[in-house]
Amino acid sequence: MTPSSSFRPAVEGSGAAASSGAGAVARGLSAEPIDMVGMLAGAHHPGAGAVVLFSGEVRDNNRGRPVSYLEYEAYGPLAETMIGEILAEAKSRWSLQTAVAQHRTGVVAVGDTAVVVITASAHRGEAYAANRYIIDRIKHEAPIWKCEHYADGTHEWGNNCNCHAVTGDVSKHIYEGL
Amino acid sequence: MKIHVYAGLKDYFEPEFEVEGEARNTDELKTLLVAINGKAEAMLSSCRFAVEEGFIDNAYKLNSHDTIVIIPPSSGG
Repeated sequence: MTPSSSFRPAVEGSGAAASSGAGAVARGLSAEPIDMVGMLAGAHHPGAGAVVLFSGEVRDNNRGRPVSYLEYEAYGPLAETMIGEILAEAKSRWSLQTAVAQHRTGVVAVGDTAVVVITASAHRGEAYAANRYIIDRIKHEAPIWKCEHYADGTHEWGNNCNCHAVTGDVSKHIYEGL
Repeated sequence: MKIHVYAGLKDYFEPEFEVEGEARNTDELKTLLVAINGKAEAMLSSCRFAVEEGFIDNAYKLNSHDTIVIIPPSSGG
């Protein structure tokens, strides 16, 4: 028996190096530092008057505790597919010219980039809204986890999505920007 | 059946292991896992489950040859 089809993510547009915009722009997961400049260079589009780039970066503290670095783990195949699906949905919903995102796995130092989302559209409103939507969904839904490694040598898997405490369903989420 | 766990669940289980005993669905699997380590109960209640890279719910009938991925709440970004 196969899993419930309603839960199976679409495969359309998946792949770590597939194109969602004018050029071939990396997206999905990366065990190496994210090439933010390269992503931005590939995100421009002649029909886009606005390009919005969000960079999620590693803070040196978490709830008052000094942080040495973060370590990200992902269930790779499903995370890649879900990111592709989220991008495809956003691109259609806001008529974007470009929608790309890449998330780090492995160790990420303080100040380094953990995730990048770039959206491009004819006007800025759509690019801003779609960018917020994409990063919110990636944070809440994609099977990616951060482990805070503190300066005192301890570590903690943390900042998990807690929407299920409100929605009563581990698959239903609340998005700040929507 | 084979089990893969991620993130905080690794504080309670090995990353990959096999469970003995019958579990026909995810609720029964949770019961088996809590019997292995009761401290994981609260976290398991907030986890999603996947087989063959697709999410499943309690209506999915587990097979003994399934490899089941247990997915804690996300914390990316």
